[in-house]
Amino acid sequence: MRVSLPHMGNLYVPCRAVFEQLGVDYVIPPVNNQRTLSLGSRYSPEGLCIPFKMTLGNMIESAEMGANTLLVPGGYGICRLGYYTRVQEQILQNLGYDIEVIQLGVSDRKFLGILDIIKRISNDSPWRRILSAFRFGMAKLNTIDQIERTVQKIRPVELVQGTVNQIYTRAINAIDNADDYDTLKRVRADYYEQLNQVPINQQANPLIVGVTGEFYVLLEPFSSFDIERELGKLGVEVRRATFISGWTKFTFFLNPFGINEKSRIQKAARPYLKRDIGGDGWESVGEKVLHAKEYDGLVHLAPFTCMPEIIAENIMPSTKENIPVLTILCDEQIAKAGVLTRLEAFVDLLERKRRSRNNKQRVTV
Amino acid sequence: MTTVGIPRALLYYQYYPMWKTFFEHLGVEVVVSAPTTRKTLAEGAARVVADTCLPVKVFTGHVISLVGNCDCIFIPVVRSLKRKSYNCSKFLGLPDMTRAVVREAPPILEIEIDINQGKGRLYRDIYRLGRHFSWNPLKVREAANVAWQAYLEYRELMCRHGLTPPQAIDNITSTTQAPESALDYTDLPQATIGLIGHAYLLYDEHINYQLIQRLQQYDVAVVTPEMLPGHVTEAAVNKLVGKAYWTYEEEVVGAGGHYLEGGVDGIIGIMAFGCGPDSLMMDMVHRQATRQKTTPFMCLTLEEHTSETGIITRLEAFMDMIYRRKQRGETVCV
Repeated sequence: MRVSLPHMGNLYVPCRAVFEQLGVDYVIPPVNNQRTLSLGSRYSPEGLCIPFKMTLGNMIESAEMGANTLLVPGGYGICRLGYYTRVQEQILQNLGYDIEVIQLGVSDRKFLGILDIIKRISNDSPWRRILSAFRFGMAKLNTIDQIERTVQKIRPVELVQGTVNQIYTRAINAIDNADDYDTLKRVRADYYEQLNQVPINQQANPLIVGVTGEFYVLLEPFSSFDIERELGKLGVEVRRATFISGWTKFTFFLNPFGINEKSRIQKAARPYLKRDIGGDGWESVGEKVLHAKEYDGLVHLAPFTCMPEIIAENIMPSTKENIPVLTILCDEQIAKAGVLTRLEAFVDLLERKRRSRNNKQRVTV
Repeated sequence: MTTVGIPRALLYYQYYPMWKTFFEHLGVEVVVSAPTTRKTLAEGAARVVADTCLPVKVFTGHVISLVGNCDCIFIPVVRSLKRKSYNCSKFLGLPDMTRAVVREAPPILEIEIDINQGKGRLYRDIYRLGRHFSWNPLKVREAANVAWQAYLEYRELMCRHGLTPPQAIDNITSTTQAPESALDYTDLPQATIGLIGHAYLLYDEHINYQLIQRLQQYDVAVVTPEMLPGHVTEAAVNKLVGKAYWTYEEEVVGAGGHYLEGGVDGIIGIMAFGCGPDSLMMDMVHRQATRQKTTPFMCLTLEEHTSETGIITRLEAFMDMIYRRKQRGETVCV
């Protein structure tokens, strides 16, 4: 059995850790590139969003590499994403690939459902081994996210542009290659050290921009034009509430008990949007309301034709808590240059706004 | 007397008789917005962001046209009508979105229908809705029961007599006898076409350019999802896609699957551009039609830029093809 999973940011690192420990043959599809997207959009129904097209592209590419079992998240009660696996399975069949698609139910039995599936594909390994492998995967995931958070802080103020990105790429590779907890710990300390030694501009007071929206385009840089790096290049500190570890942890583990950072965001959204509308629409509105004071602006990322985000986009301008929001719709037709122009204009606007606010304060004093 | 406004869009076509009975039983006057016009659509589309789907733009236009004509507007939120199948986000966020984009709108009455939360919750929500007009729980309960009966009669009327929802609503409100057959044909129909899609697209004559009338001009009998009894569409859904995922999936997959089994000469699917559920569901029906190769299938996508001529051309070509097939007695599509 050769297992494969569609890409979502650095998700392949913890997956590889889990599968390697359990002795499962894991096929990593090629890193998302133009071919993935072209393949995906060629075989998708026209009205579907970019997560469908990208994951379909990944599936076709991993099928080409000989995978015969695909694990894909899905389930009812979220947006239409929960239904994608069934359609993708049919498309793959029509293309002539003999492949089994297993739906990782995010809503049915939460964490237990996932463990059951892992047990099945790992030839009935003992539970002890599965749990320890899973724990190791989660440790890797957390390490990646901690490093990413630091990278977001240092990137806008580094003196030589690109230093941090290089360290980040090396760090991901090192984490991927770490075999046990000791190595992982050493790698983590090592790269923290390296990041902290990057020469930075001490006087800089970067703008703070939140990035929110639909989780797939947030977590998969290729589908959202590497927007975090581009913002970093423009000297903007990016804040993002959605991390892969957060996403997996909260949907699989903690949600049943209601312990959840998300509930804070949802509470903030309540005056404007009363109920969960599926997907991440509720959280998008909530983040605007909650962080209006700390952020200078908000970049709202959504796939084209995403239903929950359209509702959020309609509601956002009417909130009392007012910060500039730039909505960027991602799909295969949009050119990166166009997005960059819009980002630059947006950052200019934020800078001018901050300057005029500072001037006003000086006058009143 | 208080007046409640009901926009003539989205769920109006499915539930209007039920809502009307409920409110009138509680002593409230019901106002419905006028049928969609170019102005309704233009005003609605100007308020919401461009990506919003056509039916929601129409809905916003209807809400705007109700401003000033009523004391409150009724916008229900239908989350689920069956276990583990949920509705599209646009329905779930409708009251909040309307509040955000139509600032001048009167207060919005909302009720959340979610079967997965259990019966008690449903009854409580109905009482909360009724409490705006009557403190007496028994009266609210009676109104709800009468409304449910009205809904069942409405469904029965459409199933048994083959009426379309607008005809059935006319029939109920104007107290005339039910006609023998709904659609008046000058000659005997030459062919039968199954129309599949959501009621708010099939029966809004402005946004689909009088599709049903046009088909009747070709001497075609039109059958729509509302004319099928519930158990038939459910069985077809089970056969085609397994467990239903969306709340109003029967209208598309159920009816489509049923008509593909036979009984019609062709199927036309109507969907709005950017519709989340339909982008998948129409595709499912399309794939099934391609596999079976027995019934011709065409999908028309509607948005505000759709041109009337384009639709007419495609309809003519489709009908020509069907007549030719019938003459030659072909049974297989290539």
